[in-house]
Amino acid sequence: MGWEESVAEIRRRRAWAQAQGGADNVARQHAAGRLTVRERIAGLVDDGSFREVGGLSASVTYENGVAVAATPAPYVCGLANIDGRPVAVGGEDFTVRGGTSAGLDKRKGGQGGFSEDLAYEYRIPLVNLIDGAGGSVASAKQRGHAVFPGVDSFDRSVQLLSEVPVVSAVLGSAAGGPAGRAILSHWSVMVEGTSQIFAAGPPVVARSLGQKITKEDLGGVPVAVAAGGTIDNAAPSEEACFAMIRRYLSFMPQNVHEAPPRVVAGDPAGRIEEALLDAVPHERRHPYDMRRIIELVFDRNSSFEIQPGHGKALITSLARLDGHVVGIVANNPMVYGGAMNVAESNKQCHFIELCDTFHIPLVFLVDVPGFMVGEQAERAGVLRAGMRAVYVASQARVPVMTVVIRKCYGMAGMATCHQAGLNLRIAWPSAEWGSLPVEGGVAVAYRREIAAAADPKQREAELEAELREYASPFRTAEAFGVEDIIDPRETRAYLCRFIGAAQGRIKTDIGLKPRAGVRP
Amino acid sequence: MAREEIESEVTGTVWKIETKVGDKVMEGDVLMIIESMKMEIPVLATEAGTIAEFTTEETEPVSEGQVVVILET
Repeated sequence: MGWEESVAEIRRRRAWAQAQGGADNVARQHAAGRLTVRERIAGLVDDGSFREVGGLSASVTYENGVAVAATPAPYVCGLANIDGRPVAVGGEDFTVRGGTSAGLDKRKGGQGGFSEDLAYEYRIPLVNLIDGAGGSVASAKQRGHAVFPGVDSFDRSVQLLSEVPVVSAVLGSAAGGPAGRAILSHWSVMVEGTSQIFAAGPPVVARSLGQKITKEDLGGVPVAVAAGGTIDNAAPSEEACFAMIRRYLSFMPQNVHEAPPRVVAGDPAGRIEEALLDAVPHERRHPYDMRRIIELVFDRNSSFEIQPGHGKALITSLARLDGHVVGIVANNPMVYGGAMNVAESNKQCHFIELCDTFHIPLVFLVDVPGFMVGEQAERAGVLRAGMRAVYVASQARVPVMTVVIRKCYGMAGMATCHQAGLNLRIAWPSAEWGSLPVEGGVAVAYRREIAAAADPKQREAELEAELREYASPFRTAEAFGVEDIIDPRETRAYLCRFIGAAQGRIKTDIGLKPRAGVRP
Repeated sequence: MAREEIESEVTGTVWKIETKVGDKVMEGDVLMIIESMKMEIPVLATEAGTIAEFTTEETEPVSEGQVVVILET
């Protein structure tokens, strides 16, 4: 006789795992508008591709030496495919003891553990589906001692950030370890209404500060995504969230030792869009829709915006040009004229490091009047944050192309090009640049002359008009101070040519991108 | 009928109110213009509807996130 009986036992135990925390707990999870971790994995990965690992880990009840019932370990992990490419995936099972840690011989994932090791050792992307509250003071009673912070180390999570794409989805209320884990990712997403994230939840806040606040007001999408920028993107539903994860990963190589994947979708590199010719108004005080310019220039429907709700004077998007992955950094003139404030700098720095790490060339679409001005901005440390963007742009080693759409002024302007490299800058005829805008700049540089004039207002206007003549982009192009001025309708073809030519360089630069020095 | 609160994306001053209470507007229509950082920043209708109320007036300062128009949708 063979091993039929033991094989039947494997099946029986796998069935226990499928039951998760029991019908009541599963119903409660659904009633809260949330899916179970198994439904999440099924919704995320290619059909039938999930190969679970550790499905037998459980707390088992024995009667007379026979296993009769089991509570599965509250973490589900394994290997799966997304768009045919392998990924490591794992998530807390909130229906089992609220997804708290299991006390197994080896962690299954979350904060170190099998899913993280699998991603690291096999150099494949990691997706964390986070729905757990982390540590509990009650565990000290079980162990007989309080644990020192770091007993579950973040070291592996940190190592992963230089090797493979890491995505975290916050799908419940995350505090403590699971919340921290979400941040140690290249890209994170949460769900409107059903997920929250915070350093500490409402009971701790009430006890520490006497503030009474709901979970949603403390760490829902408006706080965590829009105001704090703690999490990158918000999804309207869990299903939409999984689609966004697949979309994000479609731009990424499997690890930093590969180039990002080209997907040719048949959008001609030479496509001409007449609408680009009058996309920018002549009246300098009138803003325009930068997202529309992005849609017209880059491959059709290829743009995937990262952090759309935070630092809104800046737009950061992954997209494609002739099928090649590019990172777009564009100023948004609709918000503070595109001025760079602290949130914009944080967003730009993170995005540039993300693209640099995964060998994604950068395209800047520039309309920046400078760093944000004013007392509020200074109190928030705008100068240090802004110079950090200059520092990070200078450290990037991927090819950088700069398209000046309108304003490019001062030090914020320096953060939009790659002075240490080829520094290819092309400009639209609407472009203007300088150390600072003529308005205001004139009042400072010619203060005495203006004050001494019979009509100071008129003299100031005359000086402004005189200096504005020098601001013509053609004069700078004559001096090769900008590489080219182009018909806006040529932008796509121009960029596609150079992005195509840069692919060889990108392949010679694959591997780890260590960054020395101290960011300001 | 739902009331849709429309916020200013920026801190600045109300430059021009281009519509009036009772106007029917489409999504994306310019409702008013805020002057901020020397730019004229339009406040756009987030949905189609009828203007129910302005919560500010021309030359008034507004701050980022402040509700400036209420639409009935």
